[in-house]
Amino acid sequence: MNADVIIIGGGIQGCATAYQLAQAGASVIVLEKDRVSRHASGVNAGGVRVLGRHVAEVALSKASMELWPQLDVELDADTGFRARSLINIAADESDLEILAKREQQMHALGYLHEKRLDQQELRERLPYVSPSCVGGVVSEEDGYAIPYKSTFAFRNAAERHGATFLEGVEVAQIRKIGPHWLVDAGSQRFESQYLVNCSGAWADQISVMIGDNVPLTHSAPMLMITTRMPHFATPVVGAVSRPLSFKQFENGTVLIGGGAKGFADRENNRTRLDYSKLAVGAKNAIEFFPIMKTAAVNRMWSGLEAYMPDNLPVIGKSVSADNAFHAFGFSAHGFQMGPIIGKVMAELVLTGVSSFDLNAFRVDRFERKVL
Amino acid sequence: MRNSYDIAIIGAGPAGMSAAITAVKAGSTVVVLDDKKQAGGQIYRNVSHSPLPNPESLGSDYTKGRSLVAEFEASGVIALWESTVWHVGDKGEILFSQKGVTKSLTAREIIISCGAMERPFPVPGWHLPGVMSAGSAQVMLKNDAMVRDNAVFVGTGPLLYLIVAQYIRLGVEVKALVDTTPLSSYTGSAPYFPGALAHARMLVKGMGLLNEIRKAGVTVYRFAENIAIEGDTEAKSIKFNCGGSQIKFSAEHVFLHQGVIPNLNMTRSLGVDHHWCAQQLCWKPTLDIWGESSVASIAVAGDCSGIVGADAAVDMGRVVALQRLVRLDLITEKIRDQLAADALARIKKLNRFRKFIDRLYRPQDLHRIPQQEDTVVCRCEEQTVGQLKAGFDAGANGPDELKGLTRCGMGPCQGRQCGHTVSELLAQWRGVTVSDIGYYRLRSPMRLLNLSELSQFTHVAPGYTEEKS
Ligand SMILES: Cc1cc2nc3c(=O)[nH]c(=O)nc-3n(C[C@H](O)[C@H](O)[C@H](O)COP(=O)(O)OP(=O)(O)OC[C@H]3O[C@@H](n4cnc5c(N)ncnc54)[C@H](O)[C@@H]3O)c2cc1C
Repeated sequence: MNADVIIIGGGIQGCATAYQLAQAGASVIVLEKDRVSRHASGVNAGGVRVLGRHVAEVALSKASMELWPQLDVELDADTGFRARSLINIAADESDLEILAKREQQMHALGYLHEKRLDQQELRERLPYVSPSCVGGVVSEEDGYAIPYKSTFAFRNAAERHGATFLEGVEVAQIRKIGPHWLVDAGSQRFESQYLVNCSGAWADQISVMIGDNVPLTHSAPMLMITTRMPHFATPVVGAVSRPLSFKQFENGTVLIGGGAKGFADRENNRTRLDYSKLAVGAKNAIEFFPIMKTAAVNRMWSGLEAYMPDNLPVIGKSVSADNAFHAFGFSAHGFQMGPIIGKVMAELVLTGVSSFDLNAFRVDRFERKVL
Repeated sequence: MRNSYDIAIIGAGPAGMSAAITAVKAGSTVVVLDDKKQAGGQIYRNVSHSPLPNPESLGSDYTKGRSLVAEFEASGVIALWESTVWHVGDKGEILFSQKGVTKSLTAREIIISCGAMERPFPVPGWHLPGVMSAGSAQVMLKNDAMVRDNAVFVGTGPLLYLIVAQYIRLGVEVKALVDTTPLSSYTGSAPYFPGALAHARMLVKGMGLLNEIRKAGVTVYRFAENIAIEGDTEAKSIKFNCGGSQIKFSAEHVFLHQGVIPNLNMTRSLGVDHHWCAQQLCWKPTLDIWGESSVASIAVAGDCSGIVGADAAVDMGRVVALQRLVRLDLITEKIRDQLAADALARIKKLNRFRKFIDRLYRPQDLHRIPQQEDTVVCRCEEQTVGQLKAGFDAGANGPDELKGLTRCGMGPCQGRQCGHTVSELLAQWRGVTVSDIGYYRLRSPMRLLNLSELSQFTHVAPGYTEEKS
């Protein structure tokens, strides 16, 4: 099978890229070893946040934020996006100091979307917060979306524009013959001019096949969700320095995250939960929001996510081969970036350059000088 | 001090009790966990402490459980009651809740014997208040000596006839029995009849129940189909087709039953291999004759391995425990074979009887695979056939995809009520086999877990005894 572009990986990055390319008229094949949205993109916490981003990511993240509210119309689908604001809670004075420093840094760069809250303002926005919490910071445009639906929305829109999605097709070998990429997956062979690596927690393997070494690791962040509770929190909630993060959906269920990680077994597509760490998460949630004492946990899970040593993604061209591009290593905050990544990757494939400064995201940024 | 048990047994029904008795005799350290207050499982629930003035009215199939329970209690096995297991790991880890606290233990070998659950009966109106399962009628009776007057019993299978007969014996008014066993099941099961003859006693008993019901003057509708329960906010009436005409009458208490299926959430969450069983129309963990699953330290016995019935469950519990003892180096394979021979032979015979029973009481397609758009499939998230079909049309062609798009199977029952229906619906829509479709990917916890319960952990090891309450 031939196409202009082969995208490896049917997560949100691969689907959004396929959508943008197909819409621009390119022929696209997406190869997915399992099912579209089976991994990080389908099981993440759905947090759509600009708040607290590394400064290198803020421009991309803000641009993505502008796209989210329009996605339902653009993709003719229901992503479940809700702008609810996101508040990071300051538990004590040292948290407040961190926030003050961050504000200076952001203001110096001209970013004004993070606003500090004093204790009174915090309580007005989150009436059920523990009285011991001293303040916080809010980003008004942030919110959440439903991961599975969002990824599917891009996939379906891409298909409507002619992109082909092949599921259960695992890329095993990649070679470049003349100007063409030859991609082998079991008994099937694909050919294209361009290659895009969106293979998430497996992206180092695909990178190596392309010729780029990259210090990617993978892990299994864990989540749990409660049964329906009376409504008690409108904003999405995080904490400045504690492992706490939750959001209450419209149906009353509360999704609790916080960054605790289970055990990843990517060869077998499996993750194992670390219940003692979930117990710590439970303790934290109760401490910050005593109302959660009686919350009933309904499900717990985790997903395989790709991490870079600096927690920043790889976005850009391959350094060792022409016409190959990477978008991976989102380090547990790539869902929000999906919409803009699709645009950036399409730009790169079609024009060779991006309107964003991608220097911080180079694939070879950890390459050591040869001595 | 040893920190792990040799064998942990989850579920103290016939299979679990028998496994425990066998294992303890051989000198292994055994712990049994069950969410009830005492041994017995579903069938022998409360058999030694019945709240009924005359438990004999429930029949000898019930009261004969007393000797097994007595033997179990005398065996000296450590049992942790009111312990709800919510996670089993493939490295011998068991997490459970007991009286509001999370506890953990480890065992080298685990036997899962957590029984069966009733097969969902997804017909229009099955979700309405007033509609319950025949199994819940049993529970009310055995636990609290509670009954419902003027109830309508609908469906097929021995357990349905049994509860109706029990009601009659207790003098409770039964409005009607609507029997959905189709004529074709009587002819279809005939070829298996000779195989069942070895268990003539059981056959006679089944027939006897139906006779008892008819003799008592209860209205019996036979060969009923297209069951629908009507009412806006609660059950008001029932209608169905019977003998070429539609019948409808008022009904405020409806008990549905069309057989039982293995309780699979534990084996599913563990990730052991399962397969679709065409004879019993359900998923089963894939096991060898010693009950061993694709994860070697995990064995399954009794009805949660596939529906075998109480007698076979006792034999299976024994056989499965013997193999665990071999793995623990407590007995040799030769001894195992000697000790298991009788039980294995009985299981084989009972299997032939099963074939007949399974065919005779096979739930009809139209009562398993709902076709009407507004029939609820997932009760927790209130997803109807029409909503699921829309998700399928939007590209969700597997159970997990459908769950992701529609939320079916995401509620507190963890897919117990909709899992089989969803597998079968998708198979129909895609024109493939149920095996091709598969089942939800499940995760612990296997039951709702209080956040503060989760936030505290206690470890339990051999030597631990419970304070008597
Ligand atoms: C539990 C959890 C919570 C998270 N919470 C948030 C959050 O709240 N907000 C946020 O912004 N982000 C969050 N994230 C991060 C976010 O989910 C990811 O960054 C994002 O989904 C990554 O998308 P992706 O397309 O790169 O990866 P994936 O969704 O993992 O897709 C990669 C795909 O590539 C396929 N693949 C790999 N190798 C091959 C091969 N050889 N051949 C064919 N296909 C292959 C894989 O099967 C996979 O489907 C969370 C992640 C997790 C796990």
